[in-house]
Amino acid sequence: MNPSAVDLLEALLFVSDAPAKLEQLARAAGLTVGQAEQALELLSQRLERQGGLQLVRIAEGYQLCTKPEFAERIADFLKPQRQRLSRSLMEVLAIVAYRQPVTAAEIEEIRGVQSDYGIHSLLERRLIQEVGRKAAPGRPVLYGTTQQFLHHFGLKDLSELPRLTDGSAPPGDARLPTLFDRD
Amino acid sequence: MAPRRELATAEERVTALGVVAPPPIQVESPRFTGSLATLFLCVRERRIDLRDVPLTPICEAYLRYLIESPKTDFDEAAAALLALAYLLERKAWILLPTEEPEPELDDPAELIEPTTHLFQGAIETLRHREEERARVFFRPADAGPDPYEVPYVLRSASVCDLARALQRLLARANPEPMAPPARPRRSLAEQMKAILRVLDDQWRNLAELLPQPFTRVDAVFAFLAMLELLRLGQAAVRVTDREALFARPAPDPTP
Repeated sequence: MNPSAVDLLEALLFVSDAPAKLEQLARAAGLTVGQAEQALELLSQRLERQGGLQLVRIAEGYQLCTKPEFAERIADFLKPQRQRLSRSLMEVLAIVAYRQPVTAAEIEEIRGVQSDYGIHSLLERRLIQEVGRKAAPGRPVLYGTTQQFLHHFGLKDLSELPRLTDGSAPPGDARLPTLFDRD
Repeated sequence: MAPRRELATAEERVTALGVVAPPPIQVESPRFTGSLATLFLCVRERRIDLRDVPLTPICEAYLRYLIESPKTDFDEAAAALLALAYLLERKAWILLPTEEPEPELDDPAELIEPTTHLFQGAIETLRHREEERARVFFRPADAGPDPYEVPYVLRSASVCDLARALQRLLARANPEPMAPPARPRRSLAEQMKAILRVLDDQWRNLAELLPQPFTRVDAVFAFLAMLELLRLGQAAVRVTDREALFARPAPDPTP
């Protein structure tokens, strides 16, 4: 692998303020997807060895971020205002994440309480979005998670969501069960 | 009233039970979109929470139907009135602050057993991931041009022109309807998106960019959203015959 391709990808990732998809990076660097993937692997190894940054796969793309060991110092420097999601918001968000696309009535059926505030608050935080209308009486709005949701929880994609206690798979987990998955 | 045998020829208005169906009055709300007849059935079968469906626009649509229909069918009008009366009574019972239970007009709906406990493990794991994610920092997304560094273009329009546009818009706005309890309000960001969807190259006043009819709160929100779009350079304004007109800004020819 040409070392300049690794440097070029590092430069592209440095200026990107959102996760860059593999195809985008390959096109911008004039590489094939396979070459770009290989170069990103080399870049990841190089960053692991030296420097304060690391390469992560997040929200269906690649992005540079700081290494966790510098978290306290950076937090002191930037003084970020992080708002932790409340218990009820986490409940609504988890239901949308696992049952998407889902209507407000279906969320309320699972929770047993009204969830209008939670849905509205999560829409404002851009963690969920309207993804269509259900073909049912009244055509209620369907909700699903966003790229911001993946970014907020550091998820590569929806298949990284943990399994539920009833054993049901996350929505993005399209992998077929194998013999080794049996109890 | 038309004789029953005459009505029997109009099959589309007579249901299988021989009952005249209400006229096709359309209901639009965040939780329900469809005809009055469908809403009536859904409420009877307790598939819709009536608190989320404002009834005032439906009553107004019914009155419009009575006034504007050239030849009102009394059976149809009576069917609509019956459906409306039923909905109003049900909603009144729901909203009444009383400890007496709602009268059992239909079969009682089954109590729903919450199943949130299935998600508890996943919520804990997500919470852990959120904490881990908070330990790394990304380049922040570009928040757009700084309004104090990039002056926005108002062409010949002045602040007074914009204030006049708001005044005209408010004059055309309807009074605020009774809001259903806990109904979420549209945010400024959502309002900006709604305006951007209808904003094009054609110069139009603010009232033409809003869905009709609109209320005073809608008008104020639309005006604030437009100010924000002007500030961000996503909208352009010009004044013609003392009226402020808005459109998508023309692309900048300079590289």
